[in-house]
Amino acid sequence: MKVRDIMTKDLTSIEKEISVKELIFILNSSGTTSVPVVDDEEKLIGFISESDIIKAALPGYFELLDGIAFIPDMNQLSKKLVQIEDDAIEKYMQREVVWVYDDDDDLQVADMMIRKNIRNIPVVNREGHLVGVVTRINLVQQLL
Amino acid sequence: MIITVTPNPAVNKIYWVDKLKVGSKTQDEFLTRATRSSTSAGGKGVNISIFLAGMGVENVAMGFISGHAGHVLINDLRDKGVTTNFCWTSGETRTNVIIMEQGKEHIPIEVDEGGSGVTTIEAERFIRRYKRALSRASWVVLGGVLPPGVDDGFYHRLTELAKEKGINVVVSATGTPLTRALSAAPYLVKPDLRESLIWDGMVLDTEEHIIAAGKKVIAMGVDMMLISHEVTGDILVTAKGVWKVKARVEMSQLQHLVGADDVFLGGMIYKLQADEGVEGALKFGMAAGTLYAEHGASVCRTQEKIEREMSIITLEQLEGPQ
Repeated sequence: MKVRDIMTKDLTSIEKEISVKELIFILNSSGTTSVPVVDDEEKLIGFISESDIIKAALPGYFELLDGIAFIPDMNQLSKKLVQIEDDAIEKYMQREVVWVYDDDDDLQVADMMIRKNIRNIPVVNREGHLVGVVTRINLVQQLL
Repeated sequence: MIITVTPNPAVNKIYWVDKLKVGSKTQDEFLTRATRSSTSAGGKGVNISIFLAGMGVENVAMGFISGHAGHVLINDLRDKGVTTNFCWTSGETRTNVIIMEQGKEHIPIEVDEGGSGVTTIEAERFIRRYKRALSRASWVVLGGVLPPGVDDGFYHRLTELAKEKGINVVVSATGTPLTRALSAAPYLVKPDLRESLIWDGMVLDTEEHIIAAGKKVIAMGVDMMLISHEVTGDILVTAKGVWKVKARVEMSQLQHLVGADDVFLGGMIYKLQADEGVEGALKFGMAAGTLYAEHGASVCRTQEKIEREMSIITLEQLEGPQ
């Protein structure tokens, strides 16, 4: 089966200039955990997830740890989030994006998701335009 | 690709009842039980997107959505094969309630909510997203009432932005937002006369009045104006002529009138975007709308069935080129 037959046909995406605060609103209201970043022609230039924002809000040394169990309280996280809320997401987005073509095979995508441990992959057409997103649950659902 | 914009979409909650009890005195008498119900995405642009997706035409539905109802709406659209690109706002997407009483399905009772407000920041966020989407569009359809907070010039601005890129624009709306859009010269306009036959000071109650109003709109640079004159009859005014299209069908056969006029417009757009002539598009649109009104969305999905329905459609040219 082709990716276009199983993907979620949603073009929710953002520009690199939008603020962290706006990104959090979009993720929270749309119920997604990540969103593609596109240029003026809806071509993929990046990807950003809630994890990227959480990482950005944690003190630098926490990158060396696996979790936030050592953080004294949530105030530290909150304080840092307030500091970065007006920053453009460009600063925190992933520039090396994993993506697939809409005419790629589902098996190829499943393999990529497992190997790279990713949940959502943006889907583009052969012109490079964003046409949807494929999620783990999209893949699982079509196996039933 | 076709973009549809529904700034104030809705979740349509439809109840079918044997008999609607109204104004009775005891609790037993005022309780009406629905024999069945349905929940689906609604709104002018949204309805056109659903029709086009059913016909296999690539299209993207845009607009503002919010809250739980927003998720219900977007999931329904995805289930129906529509690509979505909505801006999330705070608040709650409106729910419209429609009651269909047995034997009176052709005169449904409809209660529409006003919808949640949209802030200037949210409207600008939408405009940015719309501009990006235009880079891939060939047609834009703007439809329905505006949500509270959105400026009356919204459709004018969206029309201008699309026209700058040489994209055909269709506006199906009412009141000041439609009037203001005219000066941006959209390709096709369809005034919504469900609430009032008066639009922009013109009373659109007779064939003569409709044609006169249409000519006034065409003089402003609009290519076509389509107006529903009767439930089963519409008039199209263009610079190349005036046509009246009619469906020979009994009113009592029309079981799904809510959204049927959008399917009509969707049918026209389906043909026009394929560069087919105006007369054929008009007949096909009326056939699609009538088929939908008779049988609902599930039947109105194939070109073959719509073309078969064209046998009950009549087309009369009332005037030649102006």
